[in-house]
Amino acid sequence: MQPPGQGAGGTAGQAARRPGDEYRGVNWLGGEQADGAHGDGAPDSGQSGPGGRRLELVLADVAKGDHAAFRAVYDQAAPAVLGTIRRVLRDPAQSEEVMQEVLLEVWRTAARFDPSVGSASAWIMTLAHRRAVDRVRSEQRAAARELRAATATIDYDEVSDAALTTLEQERVRRCLGGLTELQRESVTLAYYGGYSYREVAQLLGVAVGTVKTRMRDGLIRLRDCLGVE
Amino acid sequence: MRGRRGALHTLVGAYVMDAVTGRDQADFERHLLSCEQCQDEVRGLREATAHLASAAAVAPRPELREQTMRASERTRQLPPLVPGQSARHGGGRVSAHSWLPRMVAGVAVVLAVTAILLGVHVSTMQARLGALQQRDSAITAILGSHDATTLTADVRTGGTATVVMSHRARALVFTASGLSRLPTSKVYELWLMGPGGATPAGMLPSGHHGMSGPVVVNRLAPGDRLGLTIEPSAGTGQPTSAPVLMVALGP
Repeated sequence: MQPPGQGAGGTAGQAARRPGDEYRGVNWLGGEQADGAHGDGAPDSGQSGPGGRRLELVLADVAKGDHAAFRAVYDQAAPAVLGTIRRVLRDPAQSEEVMQEVLLEVWRTAARFDPSVGSASAWIMTLAHRRAVDRVRSEQRAAARELRAATATIDYDEVSDAALTTLEQERVRRCLGGLTELQRESVTLAYYGGYSYREVAQLLGVAVGTVKTRMRDGLIRLRDCLGVE
Repeated sequence: MRGRRGALHTLVGAYVMDAVTGRDQADFERHLLSCEQCQDEVRGLREATAHLASAAAVAPRPELREQTMRASERTRQLPPLVPGQSARHGGGRVSAHSWLPRMVAGVAVVLAVTAILLGVHVSTMQARLGALQQRDSAITAILGSHDATTLTADVRTGGTATVVMSHRARALVFTASGLSRLPTSKVYELWLMGPGGATPAGMLPSGHHGMSGPVVVNRLAPGDRLGLTIEPSAGTGQPTSAPVLMVALGP
């Protein structure tokens, strides 16, 4: 539980700050940014105010082939997409490649994003995480992967040390801290580690059924703590 | 599978983290189609995972931005599948049909496969799908209805049927793929089979390469089952052969 470092912080906000960019201050996590968590100084208090256009609306412009809108989506999404993929894949070069694939997929399929099914950020991150995990698993088929029991701790520490700088990130860290150890380990191994729940069960030496329920309970607790619907 | 329902439901957490693989995944996704509560939960938990993602954010190398932009300029975008905004409900909370885009995408995939087989350009088929959806508002209404549920079932003589139904609309959309080819003297015919007997529900258009439908069946009554039989090509008023498919349509 250290104070946020100076390192990777505010990347989303910095990247979004482009003079003349009409999409400046797009809300990455929808209404959850009302506390100014981006830390970019933009007055993004409203969901549809001029400084905080909802990502969902920007995606609609992307669907129409608007490159400036896509730039704005890139600026908002790329850091989280890359960070997540890198957690799962580890290899920086490969992660960059997959990140670009994911962003291009967003460009290509923006017209098929359905806002009634969830937020734009959830849609993008689902694409990103799935692709990273698919990449890992296809490689696993070629070479059996080593299961490293220490990963859970490492992952959680990384969350505390490296990335958590904005208020939003601080909030995620706090909420993760509110999980039981087994819930947190199950969630971080699955999400950041890219392990299947059966692999997680083996890593943690607990029953498969236990891991399933801890993952669900942990995410529910996280959801409620973050105040997302 | 019935005994596994409760166990399946708890997979929702693992599922949104892509931690469910193989047969577990297939089982869960099938369960998801008919479990609205799970769909809602998937939706909410996905939002939570998006926050996990943003907590891992790192700055990409600056040059990746322009590379990606240039790549996008060379990349054609897919057209929308659903004449979209009509499905939006301003402000109100919409129950999640996270499967629905996939279902529609599935139709598109079927069309794309057909297109390749027929040597038709895919975008032509996609345009046709768009036109079909716009023209046939009944299909759109059923696919988009809040209580839409999807069932898939194997056809005894080969192939898979997919039924999307809305009890509120009292209607369903039937499609099939991989159906056995019939001699020209025969046809697949749909029936609504209720307590009062069988009512003709339409003949399947002669499919290409085993693809058939979509056929809209209206006026569903409680307790109806959907049957598919093979009949003389003129059609019949009553089934004359044993069903090759029988689907219980629920309440």
